Amino acid sequence: MKPFLDVRDLTVHFPIRKGVLRRVVGAVRAVDGVSFAISKGETLGLVGESGCGKTTAGRSILRLVEPTGGSVHLDGIDLRSLSGRSLRSMRRRMQIVFQDPYGSLNPRLTVRSLLEEGLVIHRMGDAAARAERMRRALDRTGMPAAALDRYPHEFSGGQRQRIAIARALVLEPEFVVLDEPISALDVSIQAQVINLLADLRRDLGLTYLFISHDLSVVEYLSDRVAVMYLGRIVETATAGQLYATPLHPYTIALFSAVPTVDPAKRRSRIVLPGDVPSPARPPAGCRFHPRCPIAEAACREVDPPEVSLDGHRVHCHVAARELDACGGDERRASARMTSLVAATQNAGREGHRQP
Amino acid sequence: MTASLPRPIGFWGDAWRRFRRRPLAVAAVAFIGFLAAVAILAPAIAGTKPVLCRYKGRLYAPCLAYFDRRLEPVVFAQDRFRGSYPANLAAKDPESWAIWPLVFQDPFRAVRADEWPGRPANPSRDQGRPSRTNLFGTDQYGVDVFAKMVHGTTVALLVGFVSMGLASVIGITLGALGGYFGGWADSLVSRFTEVVMCIPTLILILALVAIVEKPTIWKTMAIIGATNWTSIARLTRGEFLRLRQSEFVMAARAAGAGPLRIMLRHILPNSLAPVLVPITFGIASAILIESSLSFLGFGPPPPSASWGAVLNDARSNLSMWWLVLFPGMAIFLTVLAYNLVGEALQEVTDPRLRESRK
Repeated sequence: MKPFLDVRDLTVHFPIRKGVLRRVVGAVRAVDGVSFAISKGETLGLVGESGCGKTTAGRSILRLVEPTGGSVHLDGIDLRSLSGRSLRSMRRRMQIVFQDPYGSLNPRLTVRSLLEEGLVIHRMGDAAARAERMRRALDRTGMPAAALDRYPHEFSGGQRQRIAIARALVLEPEFVVLDEPISALDVSIQAQVINLLADLRRDLGLTYLFISHDLSVVEYLSDRVAVMYLGRIVETATAGQLYATPLHPYTIALFSAVPTVDPAKRRSRIVLPGDVPSPARPPAGCRFHPRCPIAEAACREVDPPEVSLDGHRVHCHVAARELDACGGDERRASARMTSLVAATQNAGREGHRQP
Repeated sequence: MTASLPRPIGFWGDAWRRFRRRPLAVAAVAFIGFLAAVAILAPAIAGTKPVLCRYKGRLYAPCLAYFDRRLEPVVFAQDRFRGSYPANLAAKDPESWAIWPLVFQDPFRAVRADEWPGRPANPSRDQGRPSRTNLFGTDQYGVDVFAKMVHGTTVALLVGFVSMGLASVIGITLGALGGYFGGWADSLVSRFTEVVMCIPTLILILALVAIVEKPTIWKTMAIIGATNWTSIARLTRGEFLRLRQSEFVMAARAAGAGPLRIMLRHILPNSLAPVLVPITFGIASAILIESSLSFLGFGPPPPSASWGAVLNDARSNLSMWWLVLFPGMAIFLTVLAYNLVGEALQEVTDPRLRESRK
């Protein structure tokens, strides 16, 4: 079956200009060859630490940021080839919810104007039909119709995010990019919004690209998860696979940082040395090698190819070898990778271990 | 308020609420409102033509002639009134009646003896110090200064609003285009703004006045407007540059909004508050520029009365202190009022200074 959203080798490079003549002296490779596919009704979680390019990736898929390379197909339509009117009409089918509901709602417009704008642009019905659509969208997100004549600043963060979701829904999109939709909210509100998003997906058959740095939230909402590091996807798997049998050392380190309440599950905390390198000068070979506890000579020179096993894709030389050695047994390979990484922590790094 | 929910308050409603708490700023707005009233009612405050009169069975409003000469009813010219109404009205139609302006004084000529029954002619030269008949005194030709200043209010206000209106249109348009589109459009706008900024306005106006064949008040306003848009353009550009990256603009683009809709509906209303500040200060400086021009003798020629022109008269008659004091105070107070309003606007619309709405 053809995937609903197909992203191939997506790159977004921002030019670095210098001097009086503003000559291009380099590029920030915010997104550097990202590929993934989402089938209809599926949710793909995109995780990574801040600055890894996940937000830029989400925005460039919707062409809110112009991609510099690769291809994006939504329902078989090449989004990068569209322009003007055809791009505009396509925008109705793909919407976005931003992280900060304080910044994403124009403070000078009432909720009615905010919601109605898209309907007017896409000529969706007369005034009465638009009012009905807006009322329905607000109702779906748990907001009263009375909210229509109020300004965004009269609402709390959670309510604003509901309004932002209603604005996306009112156009009846099929694909929604959720750009850290709960990160700016209070913890008590986060669960409500997450449940709302899950309900909407079930009721409306939406396809989500869920961008987050919160692994536990991603696990709850996503069918599959892609882990991003420095503009690249390092590992993709179903949510269950990724959490049970992570293969990439970065994923393993990421999971070790998730706090857990179950003492039996508590694992040793893996601390990565150094900082994320600048995306303007990404390291040669495997991008993760300067911080990887188990990097080898090959990692410094050769970009690891994708190794795929039952839809579990990973870019890592060591993981590829371990998978081979274990005869394709994902579980054993993951355990061996985890112990390899953990071993480096125990050796002379006692101080970093969690009690 | 009986409603269960308070009415939603928009940005400007909120700004106005905080503006009201500043007595000085409110007084300044009231003063500008007062000036506007004086400008509109000028012919009814000081003049020698009736506000309303009945003559040979018909009603006329000859005072409108102060706005435009062509508005003076033809019948009075045909009956050889020669601009002198009180005696002629009584002599040529005993049945006639008239409602006169508050002060019977003309801004363009000296009132002659017995023009108003029992009143002497306006004194001229340095005899014209302020008196009961000439509230602010008379100039060297015997023209009443109060009448001149009342009629000059129109010029002072028009210069501010028309020239800054023009400057705002130029400045906001250029700034918006440069800030929104960036790249070479931005470079073009920025360099052009810098070039215009380098030109001293007063010198340019003096040069243009020398070239222009018939200098009128409108041409002066156009020149002031065409040279004073730079700070507006720069602020608008900065606001557009900042806001085009904002998430609500991106959300509008995601909804399919085009550049025009984004600029006019999303960015402009959010960038207007800071731009309003240089506009108010610009009005003040436009009034000053016009006064300076008139003071230097390059102002609009009569029949446009202007405060600066009165000051110019004082230049050659330094003993006549009333020619300096009254127009000087008027210019000072008006410029001060605009500056107070500008400052208050700056503070009430500054998001950093906004308090909680509870």
